[in-house]
Amino acid sequence: MLAGEWSGMTSLAHRALEPNAGLAPPPADLVEHYFEQAWSDGLPVVPPTQAKIDAVVAVLGGDPQYAEAVIPPRGGTLTREVLAVNMVMAGCKPEYAPVVRAAILALCTKQWNLNGVQATTHMAAPLLVVNGPIRHAIGMNAGHNVFGSGNRANATIGRAIRLILLTVGGGTPGDLDKSTLGHPGKYTYCIAENEELSPWAPYHVEHGMAPEDSAVFVIAAEPPHSVVNHVANDARGILDSIVSAMSTYAHNNAVAGGSCAVVIGPEHAATIAASGFSRLDVRSYLWMNAGNTWGEISFDDRYAGGGKVYNKALPKWYQRETNARIPIVERPDDIHLFVAGGAAGRFSAFIPGWGRMTSPVLRRIDGAEPPAGAVCVDGTCAL
Amino acid sequence: MEHRAYDPRGIVHAEHRELAPRVASPLGLRLGILDNTKWNGRRVLERTAELLGAASPFASVTRYTKESFSVNAEDALIARIAAENDLALIGIGD
Repeated sequence: MLAGEWSGMTSLAHRALEPNAGLAPPPADLVEHYFEQAWSDGLPVVPPTQAKIDAVVAVLGGDPQYAEAVIPPRGGTLTREVLAVNMVMAGCKPEYAPVVRAAILALCTKQWNLNGVQATTHMAAPLLVVNGPIRHAIGMNAGHNVFGSGNRANATIGRAIRLILLTVGGGTPGDLDKSTLGHPGKYTYCIAENEELSPWAPYHVEHGMAPEDSAVFVIAAEPPHSVVNHVANDARGILDSIVSAMSTYAHNNAVAGGSCAVVIGPEHAATIAASGFSRLDVRSYLWMNAGNTWGEISFDDRYAGGGKVYNKALPKWYQRETNARIPIVERPDDIHLFVAGGAAGRFSAFIPGWGRMTSPVLRRIDGAEPPAGAVCVDGTCAL
Repeated sequence: MEHRAYDPRGIVHAEHRELAPRVASPLGLRLGILDNTKWNGRRVLERTAELLGAASPFASVTRYTKESFSVNAEDALIARIAAENDLALIGIGD
């Protein structure tokens, strides 16, 4: 069976137009041809060649028909060949393939709920954060403009993920992707942690891996919300600004719990660490101080008729009383903390998630499981 | 330069299943309603059941609830709905 072909399915809406072998000669302009087939994210793609596909498949371990995953909601089979086709289209180098594959496998775990993220009316997109030596090996950017343009690895790894969700997963806007607004991260949303400028252990080490491991973290995320603080010279001042960004009932975490990410710029991180705060201290401080009252997130029961209260999605142990404090997420561990960005600038970012309907996943690039059990608090003893 | 297009979509492996036959009338049948936990979904389902049963009353109407609107109903729940009802009503109201 060839990529793009259907097996025993009679749906007309998603019937493949043409398999990869025996294609009618496409028009002279291949880039336009991919646009016409809707095999694009709206930007021109790099037309794959057999040589480029083969180079990616070789990095993945050969065997082009090996099925790596099934991508919901369409349920297309992501063989290594199909993965390679999408990576080439995105502009990836072959050496990015282990990161793309690890991220896709993380997205396809049950707890990540890719089916839901693809179809939701919310704007969530997969945010990838890469840790470990592979960041340097493939030339990722963890510094200035880390969420922005300008780095091939960051840009095309994230783009390959999106192309796979579109083509294999069928996440076409308005069809199976029902997002009301979407956000720019649905083109590409991939960064690396700036381990070198971080005063703390890297994220993956905090979670039990070794510093020499490489890993990718994926979370269903809204766009970054900038946090500026040029005045504070201690942890409390910086963190109170992040608390302020988190303490709104407009984002999904406030009304549906789940997980979020906080990306601290290196200057802010240095100031916080100078106050003696560890990673756990930072996450705990944010958890304890960020939040809303039950009255705020329930609109003081103004719309309670018909059960229209954000209620069931939040933990049972939250007090449903007007002045009760409701944290942004259930536990400090639900705040995923990274250091990233350039050396200059007193900025950080808060990134809300989708809610408890999804759980983030950290996966080693080589697929090996991390050692069982906690290594130590904050991972610092593994360094 | 190679002049060939590669389909990036991958194969969908799925079994073909026939739709269940339509019922002529709901009269005397057991109706199961699967609530997806969204309040507008609940309104759509309840109103639909009300309209369907107005002229031809159901033998029974039983309500079930998914764990979350964002995930598939558990297999055990689907099996239970199938075992306890003749018709199932599902829907989305965001």
